[in-house]
Amino acid sequence: MSASSILRVDRLSKSFRGLKAISDVSFAIDPGSITSIIGPNGAGKSTLFNLITGYLAPNSGEVHFSGRSITGLATNRIAGLGIARAFQIARPFRDLSVFENVRIGALFGKSGPRDVTATTARALELAGIAHLADRSAGALTVGQLRHLEVARAIATRADLLLADEPCAGLNPTETAAMIDVLRRIRASGVTVVLVEHDMPSVMEVSDRLLVLDAGSLIADGPPHDVASDAHVIAAYLGTPDSSASPSLSR
Amino acid sequence: MRRASLPAVVVVLACVIVLAAGPLVLPPFYVRVGQLMLYSAGLALAWTILGGFAGYASFGHAAFIGVGAFAAGLVELQLSGLPPALQLAIGLVAGALACAVLSAAVAYPILRLRGTFFAIAMLGVSHVCAELNNNIDFFQGSLGLNFPPVAPVSVEPETFFYELYLAAGLVVLTIAWWIQRSRFGAGLLSIREDEDTARMLGVPTERYKRMAFVVSAVLTGLLGVIYAHSLGYITTDSVYRDDTNLDLIVYSMLGGMGTLFGPVVGAFVLVFVIQVVLARLLDFHLFATGLLLVIIVLAAPGGILGLVRDFWARRRRDAAMPAE
Amino acid sequence: MNLVAQTIVDGLVLGGIYALAAVGFSLIFGVLHVINLSHGVLVLIGAYLALVFSQTLHVDPLLTIPLVMVVLFAIGYVYQRFLIQYTVGRTPLGSMLLTFGVALMLQNVMIWLFSPDMKNITPTYAFASFHLAGLAFDAVRVSALVASLVLLCCLAFLLKFSALGRVIRATAQQTLAARLCGVNVRHVYALTFAVSAAFAGAAGIVIGIILPFSPADEALWTLNAFVVVVLGGVGSPAGALLGGLLLGIANTLTAQYVGPAFPNVTMFLLLVLLLLVRPNGLLGNAFSASR
Repeated sequence: MSASSILRVDRLSKSFRGLKAISDVSFAIDPGSITSIIGPNGAGKSTLFNLITGYLAPNSGEVHFSGRSITGLATNRIAGLGIARAFQIARPFRDLSVFENVRIGALFGKSGPRDVTATTARALELAGIAHLADRSAGALTVGQLRHLEVARAIATRADLLLADEPCAGLNPTETAAMIDVLRRIRASGVTVVLVEHDMPSVMEVSDRLLVLDAGSLIADGPPHDVASDAHVIAAYLGTPDSSASPSLSR
Repeated sequence: MRRASLPAVVVVLACVIVLAAGPLVLPPFYVRVGQLMLYSAGLALAWTILGGFAGYASFGHAAFIGVGAFAAGLVELQLSGLPPALQLAIGLVAGALACAVLSAAVAYPILRLRGTFFAIAMLGVSHVCAELNNNIDFFQGSLGLNFPPVAPVSVEPETFFYELYLAAGLVVLTIAWWIQRSRFGAGLLSIREDEDTARMLGVPTERYKRMAFVVSAVLTGLLGVIYAHSLGYITTDSVYRDDTNLDLIVYSMLGGMGTLFGPVVGAFVLVFVIQVVLARLLDFHLFATGLLLVIIVLAAPGGILGLVRDFWARRRRDAAMPAE
Repeated sequence: MNLVAQTIVDGLVLGGIYALAAVGFSLIFGVLHVINLSHGVLVLIGAYLALVFSQTLHVDPLLTIPLVMVVLFAIGYVYQRFLIQYTVGRTPLGSMLLTFGVALMLQNVMIWLFSPDMKNITPTYAFASFHLAGLAFDAVRVSALVASLVLLCCLAFLLKFSALGRVIRATAQQTLAARLCGVNVRHVYALTFAVSAAFAGAAGIVIGIILPFSPADEALWTLNAFVVVVLGGVGSPAGALLGGLLLGIANTLTAQYVGPAFPNVTMFLLLVLLLLVRPNGLLGNAFSASR
């Protein structure tokens, strides 16, 4: 845990009516890296993102961004500090063009409107949709919309991008294109944290993996170490003698 | 801020010059129709700053016409010794201030509502203002308010008010034009499209909505003050009118909701149809407006400008098709 | 003390009628998510039809209720199926403006047919009154109230226990699931609107015997319905009754203690206030219980 981690989560907990959705989770993200949060369904990955971005208030624990505490701040304030989120269900401004969509991000992002056109163009380039700039956002495919989400998010000059299942529902070609975009974003200096299910892509692109299971962090480290961790395997597949796994004698 | 395109500016200026020459060649009836067209276009533009740009369609903007008019009238009642131009100027300031205060006060609660709830709440506000105006003696709503004649002696009142409406309309157009091209306008647009996402991207949605609301209200009020002077004598019913509330929405819908010139086109067309085409058929006005509304909603939700835009898009697409 | 009690009782009597006049609007808002700005016009059509029928058939106006309801049921079905349906599911502004346009057109038609003057339906017992527990009751208002309550109960019964009522409620709660179960949603929407129109018409008759009416009143009855719904809740006769009674009492208390010209101000203030505090009404949205 380096002293200059861009995002630090300390003993974060959240319960919903007695159910512990997130239980005592702590980790720190290095700037300029790509970290993937993985885990079985219902592990609490979306809840974790919601806690970090201020949609939900934690029951206990803290979140620090670039050294300052953002626990309990309103969502749009957190957005203004340099954290951007790209959603799985894209919400483009349908009647506007792709360019105008991304321009909104550049106009209102962190530290005010600076070099708006240049920032917009750069965001479009990084996201690989510069050729769609004049197309109406309402006419894009799902894959293109994801790229738009990402472009609009990084146009806000964010230092940290939280991407919510950016590859969900995409075919292999589209998935590879999205992974490429995330790499380019990392290369431009933006830290990326993503929630993803697509294992091959996650293994390929991540500098580090965080594994959540039933609200707790059960592994934290480089991809290959985590993938061979017994606890992680058990979380996904069950242990050999558990009743949940299929029995050959049936 | 994006530059206004030079051809567009030239066209608009040319139209203004042509319109300004109107009273010199048109008979009095058409000058009066022209007044109504310009007044309505100005109101439509003021409305659209909130309704078309930000997507907060108000069903009660007549409230500001009334508040502006009565504020001006009550103040001017105390100024009978002053020259008419000064009276008008002070009246305009009074009307603008009253609308600014009212809209700023109402904005905080009412802008928390969205869509239909906002629309109906504004209708409620309009009616509350109208009822209070009518029932509280101080406002002289039922008694009526007289306005001093402000047209210079050398000019026909008809012509004077025509040119005044034209000037006022131009001011409102310029303001709306400026807003549309500014960062503020881009923010309003994003609010219209998806307010929650806009907030997430850092748009100060609450502040922008309030600003749009107040600007829209003040401009409406200013036009209301001019209208009251052109009538000379007003009661509650002359300014707090439900048909005005409706017309303001129809202008933008007819011309093209969300565009800058749509409301102007819509206002010109609707006023012309009702006042000129249907002039002899007074009994048909409600029916005609209603029918027009039904047709627009069903057949042309993008309004006249939307139809034009679709037409050109189809022409371009056909032209780009390779020859079979 | 007696004056307060009398005022409140008067308010309750009026309120029951407001409830009937609003329940159709509430149903449409809850099921189709359409704000029917032509609701007031449908109410007035009921009043004018009752006027015509009671004069030509020489019957008591309250007895024309079944006939008027049938006529308005038919009108409502066609109106929804072939006009309003095109705006369902699109922006709410679309259906509002469409119904507003229709309201203007129908208002004009009524002016042509019946003149813009105030009209009245006077039943034979028009000037009778009686006393109960020291409070005065006007016979016409009481019979109007009784009719309103009976009709509200009928509607509640229809929604809760009949097959049609079940289908309407199912469609309102989960439209897609209803479709998947074979429900013809367009037909159900049209039937719902037809029911709403029928009850609006019945309300018109009830209103027509106690108040003078003219085509210009249509906006007021639509707004009235809106306030009742915002007060009491969306989609249920119980909500409409609660809202109606509250509005009725607010109206009579304002008229008595603030001034006869102020009830409308109270109504609009209540509207704005409640939209801010609890837009779905005191009883909430009857169809979203499962969400």
